[in-house]
Amino acid sequence: MGSSRADTIRGNRAFSVIAHHWAAFFLLIFIVIFSFTGKGFFRITNFQNVIHLGVIAVLMACAETFVIITGGIDLSVGFVMGFSSVTAGKIIQVMFAAGEGTPPAAAIITAVAAVLVLSLIPGLISGLLIARYQVPPFIATLGMWGITNGIALKISEGFPVAMLPDVLTKIGNGYVFYFRKGTGISLFGLPEGVGNESIREFTRLIPNSFLFLGIIVLILWHLLRNTTFGQHTYAVGGNEDAAIRSGIDVKRHIVKIYVLSSFIAGLAGIFNVFQTGIGNFTPFGAMYELFAVAAVVIGGASLLGGKGSIIGSFVGVLLIAFLENGLLISGVEPFYRFIAVGLLLIIAVVIDQLFPDFL
Amino acid sequence: MKTNLLRNKNLLLEIGRRWALIFLFAEIVFFGLSAKGFFSIRVFQMVLFFGTTVFLLGTAELFVIITGGIDLSVGYLMGFSSIVSTKIIFALTESGMGDGISLLLGIVLTLLIGLIPGLVSGLMVAKLKVPPFIATFAMLGISHGVSELLIKEGAAKNLPHLANAIGNGYVFYWSSGVGFSMFNRPQVARGVFVLELIPNIVVIAFAAIGILAFLLKRTVFGQHTYAIGGNVDSAVRSGINVDRHLVKIYMLSSFLAAISGIIYMLMYVTGKADAGASSLLDSIAAVVIGGASLSGGKGTVWRTILGGVIIAILETGMRLMGIPTFDKYIMVGIILISAVLIDQLFPDRTYTDKEES
Repeated sequence: MGSSRADTIRGNRAFSVIAHHWAAFFLLIFIVIFSFTGKGFFRITNFQNVIHLGVIAVLMACAETFVIITGGIDLSVGFVMGFSSVTAGKIIQVMFAAGEGTPPAAAIITAVAAVLVLSLIPGLISGLLIARYQVPPFIATLGMWGITNGIALKISEGFPVAMLPDVLTKIGNGYVFYFRKGTGISLFGLPEGVGNESIREFTRLIPNSFLFLGIIVLILWHLLRNTTFGQHTYAVGGNEDAAIRSGIDVKRHIVKIYVLSSFIAGLAGIFNVFQTGIGNFTPFGAMYELFAVAAVVIGGASLLGGKGSIIGSFVGVLLIAFLENGLLISGVEPFYRFIAVGLLLIIAVVIDQLFPDFL
Repeated sequence: MKTNLLRNKNLLLEIGRRWALIFLFAEIVFFGLSAKGFFSIRVFQMVLFFGTTVFLLGTAELFVIITGGIDLSVGYLMGFSSIVSTKIIFALTESGMGDGISLLLGIVLTLLIGLIPGLVSGLMVAKLKVPPFIATFAMLGISHGVSELLIKEGAAKNLPHLANAIGNGYVFYWSSGVGFSMFNRPQVARGVFVLELIPNIVVIAFAAIGILAFLLKRTVFGQHTYAIGGNVDSAVRSGINVDRHLVKIYMLSSFLAAISGIIYMLMYVTGKADAGASSLLDSIAAVVIGGASLSGGKGTVWRTILGGVIIAILETGMRLMGIPTFDKYIMVGIILISAVLIDQLFPDRTYTDKEES
């Protein structure tokens, strides 16, 4: 950086390309290293597991991406997820237990619909507080952090909401393709007449969660990259005054951003019910929101706003997820994951400062 | 007519600025009426006893927030220090040292080790220009990981009995017949009433907080802290070594977290990695209720303690009424947001002056 800008560009172009995509390069390097150190790391089943278990983290990071691009922060996503998860669990539990006649499908659909609507509320409140009443995003969403957590704990009375229909986990942990030599391929479940005990003989490909995740990430990616909504998001974060002057209704847009973030957290909560088969409140130690912010920053966003992308955040989550999984499989103590994420974060910010954007 | 209106407006402003005091008063009246046995020396001391964490972590957070930063790591640094102190004390007693000496040495060493995380995050914030949110979150992760590694084989047990005696003891005891005694619980028959006054750890915590209040209000260090938070550029121009000062601030914050970790160790005679995990909301809420602004330059120690007392009374009162602690999170969240809204309704005089000119 010491010499002239032009020199730096010419001299370090290749290097700066690497620096700007360092997260992706790190991801590749990790995968290569862990393939040697960890037995069973480089397998389709393992990769499928990593992503399947990372669905919630990806959704959180996507939610946080939108907020961070506008220069804000949403600390409540983790607990909004817990709130949605226990609410969905509770609705299903009550409906399932109430009438013998209620089919599980009806209970599940009602719960999903109700939670999708309810999950808009925390975001609406924090968005209004931030946009209309100038409450700093950190405070508004930290307040919502406490409120949604308290409500989730109240609904669940401090215990996970259990006794839900088995269909949930069948969908949540199912695969699109089941394949066995001789039996052939079947979709979304074992072929007729095959018992659950022989499930290990089948090659299972593409968890259902991939479809869910893929569709949502694709929509959000499109929303941020190709639509006016996305353009406005970058504009608000880049320079709010300019955004106002160019006719964007900034306040309205910010409310929408927090509603979107909370909605995505709600989706994550619903997925959580399908994945675990119970309604879980979020424990304090989970720190979903902080890991989401970490992934977004590793993915190249700046907390000052105006920068960031869904793909980048996705890579950020994968980097953390593969690091954890690789360390675990290589027999490293799981506690090192916290340390590793901390170090990755520092690397992210330092690299970002050493190689500022040229464009 | 107009002056009258103005006076009324000013009076309203003056009251509005002191809303936290009014709220505290209302809270006491409410719990006094609805929680049985709320007005007693025991409950009053309980508030202070269980409030030490939020007072200390709130004060730590206050210094950082005045400079316009944030420290997410205080809660986990508290847990980290509680574990480090148990480990050191255990090792020292194992090697044959006396209880008193190993306890003292363990505490001093933990306080010194407690400076390191702050030094690292301070250097990151000041020299590498890492945003405080990121730097302290990285430190949170690192300290959490290290804590978990340290207690992999379980938390240290068999700490000297002295730790428990200090952590759960009182400065004064009084019982009829024996009279007053200091630090030692009088040996009386079971069932005989012993009046306990002033928990030891409250004295420790308030000694530390008192020094910090003095530091912030009366010293150059405090002036510089406000100056940096108010306007970094003018602080640099007036010759303050901002980088150096910021490093000190983050060290101070992690030092206070270490003190609260040691207090945790004294109270529960063990260390726990997530001892302060849930206190992020409480400590920041205490600071904000106390009138500080996240954009920096504002806030005092005593008003932060006022905020802390509001939270501690809420917790104790709800516990007395048998309301589950879940509701506490909801209440604190609501109070936190309301604090900002109310502060905006009743801005400081300097602020209005600026707006009018």
